[in-house]
Amino acid sequence: MKTKLLSILLLTLACASGAALCSAPRASWTLLPVLAVLFLCLTMRLPRTVRFTAGLGLLLIAIPFAGFTNTFLFELGIQIGIFSALALGLNVVVGMAGLLDLGYAAFFAIGAYTWAIFGSTQASYFMNGNFPLAGWPYFYLFAALAVLTAAITGILIGLPALRLRGDYLAVVTLGLGEVVRVLANNLDHPVNITNGPQGISPVERPPIPWLMDLLHIFNPDASPALGYALFFYLLVIAIIGLVVLINVRLDHSRFGRAWVAIREDEIAARAMGISLTRTKLFAFATGAAFSGAMGAVFAAKQRFISPESFTLLQSITILGMVILGGMGSIRGAILGAALVTLLNIEVLKSCSDFLNTLRQTGFVLDLGFFQYNFALLPSQLEPAKYERMIFGLILVLMMIFRPQGLIPEVRHRLELEKDD
Amino acid sequence: MLEIAAISLNFGGLAALEDVSLKVAEGQIFSVIGPNGAGKSTLFNVLTGIYPPATGAIHFLGRKISKLPPQRIARRGIGRTFQNIRLFGSMTVFENVLVGRHTHIRYTYADALLHTPRYFCAERSARDKVLDLLNFVGLEARAEELARNLSYGDQRRLEIARAMAIQPRLLLLDEPAAGMNPRETDALKALIRALRDERRITILLIEHHMQVVMAVSDRIAVLDHGRLIAEGAPAAIRENPAVIEAYLGPGAKESLA
Repeated sequence: MKTKLLSILLLTLACASGAALCSAPRASWTLLPVLAVLFLCLTMRLPRTVRFTAGLGLLLIAIPFAGFTNTFLFELGIQIGIFSALALGLNVVVGMAGLLDLGYAAFFAIGAYTWAIFGSTQASYFMNGNFPLAGWPYFYLFAALAVLTAAITGILIGLPALRLRGDYLAVVTLGLGEVVRVLANNLDHPVNITNGPQGISPVERPPIPWLMDLLHIFNPDASPALGYALFFYLLVIAIIGLVVLINVRLDHSRFGRAWVAIREDEIAARAMGISLTRTKLFAFATGAAFSGAMGAVFAAKQRFISPESFTLLQSITILGMVILGGMGSIRGAILGAALVTLLNIEVLKSCSDFLNTLRQTGFVLDLGFFQYNFALLPSQLEPAKYERMIFGLILVLMMIFRPQGLIPEVRHRLELEKDD
Repeated sequence: MLEIAAISLNFGGLAALEDVSLKVAEGQIFSVIGPNGAGKSTLFNVLTGIYPPATGAIHFLGRKISKLPPQRIARRGIGRTFQNIRLFGSMTVFENVLVGRHTHIRYTYADALLHTPRYFCAERSARDKVLDLLNFVGLEARAEELARNLSYGDQRRLEIARAMAIQPRLLLLDEPAAGMNPRETDALKALIRALRDERRITILLIEHHMQVVMAVSDRIAVLDHGRLIAEGAPAAIRENPAVIEAYLGPGAKESLA
């Protein structure tokens, strides 16, 4: 009864917030309720169908509809989606298998370069052929290839790291991750493969005539930019769906259980007949594969990539998302990615804008005993620049007050009633 | 079934095991006793491949296992529990035993991703086996609790169920009665006998609790300072002067008399 009421409430809230967003897509106050409902969809204990209906309804109907007038929504969604996939991948390695990996951005880089090199004129520096490969199957083909190359690199990086645990593993993966970035930075000679620090641009996007045709039905003068924003938004959601499905299924299989077992106790796991080598390599490969897929999408979406995007800081940010959300928790990884991305590109930017407005208008704060003229506020004070500090502060507070993360890992129920 | 031939192992200058030879026959409950630091747990660690022996050889079911890694030895059919309990604490009781089924659940990565019939079939049969084992050790009501939340005695029994899940022919129990109250100890005795009589598992037992050892063992071996000082039936071991001396110090027999 209570569940039913809450379900109806959640669906009503979803409809209301969705309608509000569509009616005023540019106002930032309409985005907040939508995010709140999505948050509830992730965290509430309600039947899966209800949470899926509410969440997917907002993601696939309300946001795209509002996005036609406010493309920023797509941009936000894509950013959150890309980082969610990365966090989900790292969650397999760090959260489930307990292998501390500080070089995770390397796999993202490998996925990105896999498409960027062949999806631009870059490949013609070292091989014959008609580059960029712009036909429609190429992008998807290379995205699949990116999954494969990232997974193989995952295994290669995993191999030397197999005998190491904890801090030692972290240092080695950190080093190997940097190797990939330094390679990307320096492989512009003797043969120009990555174009070095200048990066690769422009990277082709897959053609989307079908989506443009569809868009033109609703809006005859929809621009290709809008079409691509919608396309990547939908693509990212589809990939997230796939990644979550894979994550859940692995979690419910002997592979996922073996990962958690070696995280909990390697000696006991081996006494159960579990091979550490195979289990760890599977974890590295699986985690890397998700990252590789998103790398290819990232390259196509940005149309420009350079080694700058794949720094140690990036790896640490992703790790922070996993820790914030809750190690080993699938929903936690998504929530962590969403919160950190929102903080970076929405909350802090809004704070900066707000302070700038106050500064420019010379607003005077008057509390009677205390007066402050915002025109005097130093222009260096800009919250958007304090991203790292605030992120660090949040992590420290998390470690003190909720070390298990926002949505802690839940081990599955036995589900006895299911088929007895 | 298990033949240990003259194995030795040194930690630095310390001889943890010195020229130890034992034969365990199928269907026996074979106990290894000895004072603290005698090398009993080291013997288990050598048998299960955690430390390879420096010299000597171990044969199990006629095949040499003394150079194999732990997971291979487990797959050959040697299960074990640990003196300092090593459960997967943040997994449920049910999952702990399910991990033990790992090598018997035969499906590929692709089966798990695509949820093929083979996946469901294997998972269902694994689940049935696990429930059967939890029933056997009397933990079925606790199936959904996290392993780390169990009482000490229950954790010991869960370790036995988990070790049973790999379908061992030989089960090594390392001080299963440690930390148990008298009621739990009695239940443990029954459980060890049932393991052998109902499940046809040969048992190698390390135990300090003499009442348990004397009640269940068919044969007893006594280790002291890494050397085998006696081996025989319980009654003979109880009377063996070397054993009494090892436990109580030289001259103990005389002062007891």
